[in-house]
Amino acid sequence: MTNIQTKKELNKEFKDVKYILTSSMRAKLLLALYRIPKNLDELRSELKKPSATILHGLKELESINLVRKAQKYYELTSNGYLLTTNMVKLIENWFALSKNEAFWDNHDLSDIPDEIIKSIYLLKDAEYVNSTTSDLSIAFNKYIKLISNARKLQIIMPIYSENHFKHMIDLLNNEKIDELRLIISEEIYDSICENELFKQELLENEKVIIKITEDNLKIFLTCSEKFMSLTLFFKDGHYDDSQILIGKDENALKWANNIIKKFEVK
Amino acid sequence: MHNHSEINEEIRFLAQSEIRLKILSELYEQPNNISGLVKKTQITYSSVSSNVNKLEENEFIRKVEKKYYVNPMAEIYFKALMDFKKSVDIINDYGAFWNKHNITQLSIDSMKNITALKDSKLIETTPLDIYKTHNTTKNQLIESKDVKAIFPYLHPEYPQLIETILQNGGTVELIVPRTIFKAIISPIDDKLKKDAINGERLIVYTVTDDLDLYLTVCDEKMSLGLFKNDGSFDQNRILISDDKKSHEWANELFKHVKHRVIK
Repeated sequence: MTNIQTKKELNKEFKDVKYILTSSMRAKLLLALYRIPKNLDELRSELKKPSATILHGLKELESINLVRKAQKYYELTSNGYLLTTNMVKLIENWFALSKNEAFWDNHDLSDIPDEIIKSIYLLKDAEYVNSTTSDLSIAFNKYIKLISNARKLQIIMPIYSENHFKHMIDLLNNEKIDELRLIISEEIYDSICENELFKQELLENEKVIIKITEDNLKIFLTCSEKFMSLTLFFKDGHYDDSQILIGKDENALKWANNIIKKFEVK
Repeated sequence: MHNHSEINEEIRFLAQSEIRLKILSELYEQPNNISGLVKKTQITYSSVSSNVNKLEENEFIRKVEKKYYVNPMAEIYFKALMDFKKSVDIINDYGAFWNKHNITQLSIDSMKNITALKDSKLIETTPLDIYKTHNTTKNQLIESKDVKAIFPYLHPEYPQLIETILQNGGTVELIVPRTIFKAIISPIDDKLKKDAINGERLIVYTVTDDLDLYLTVCDEKMSLGLFKNDGSFDQNRILISDDKKSHEWANELFKHVKHRVIK
């Protein structure tokens, strides 16, 4: 037998999480009441369960102070609202991860800070694009198309890619971009310096702002005012140009900006 | 409702067993074998081994040369689950602070990021020290150079406090209800006030609608106070902190309210 003390501590440590997450009724009730208070009739028709089951669940939630009854309506308490907000976050985090699981699982995520990983729910509407064996450059072409329609670009660039740089210079020279912020490692910076053209057109361009980090980077993140995109390295250390994750909604942009902020202060 | 708005089977599988959660957190810290896990967790061999098998069957962990490792994907899912656990811990730890209080002024982002308050402290008044909350925030304010504050009500000491900060060369950014604007600003020395305003060291935003939140962000510190559901400010409880994460959290919340005020 597991010793009683250990068991008690374990039970205590995970008690609430277990209580909420393992009962589908309790979790469903919290979610049903998340937006607005509801009465029993409304809950019954929404959850399609008998009154007794629903009332039982509500009683349980009332007893741990997550739900309260006001007149005939049930509503979340402040604690209930805080908890449910975080439960929604958990559900959306899970959803965002499983939706693009192949993308996340394939790559080295060590450069993405923990707090940013925990807010991966912001990418729940992002989609990843895969290149195919018949067209290896789908991801790259998609990327070029995206940056061609941006006015302001922030890029964390972990690779020295002439292809990418040439496109950027093109956009700068054709007045397509007003501002290009590049976050690069010292190593990449040195390589750029060795190429006369790149040095002149990128490093000496007043529209380009360069920020150099000491560490080598393992993340290729681009953020404009309209889109964000992410490509990563395989776990064996090679850059993967075949898969790109693209998000165009406000949340995805926020996620990308949060990462950039982290790297800006590095 | 979306199809992904439910607790799924995987989450439930993990949450069902404290032992599985414990094993995962141990392996997340350090890969181990079964007897190592038994030693570290004090859970019996048979429970560890049966749960390790279940975790392996469900592809949360895998065995590589005698040791169990958390699968990379499982590690991220696990982090998300533990993040939820930590948020529940904070809601409970400061239960009296949130309970029966108005939290509608908090942004959804600040709620989702509530684990940032992990190292905050709940200060409560006692019958022997009924000004404990006020004095604590006052001390935070006096020592600071860079102050951002949401004052939802007027305390007679505020004008003097602001004056002191300005005299020390600090900056003050305030959000206050229009109704107290005059009372808080007029007592401040005219020349000091004028210079500070011109030098953008004193910025005041006023609000006409409800401002049911007390928040200060000063240098590296923060403090947060809430209104009770009956509409009165709870003078007996504040949450304070001087760690970086809480400070960042408070700063984001200040930005959020400011954004709402400026529109």
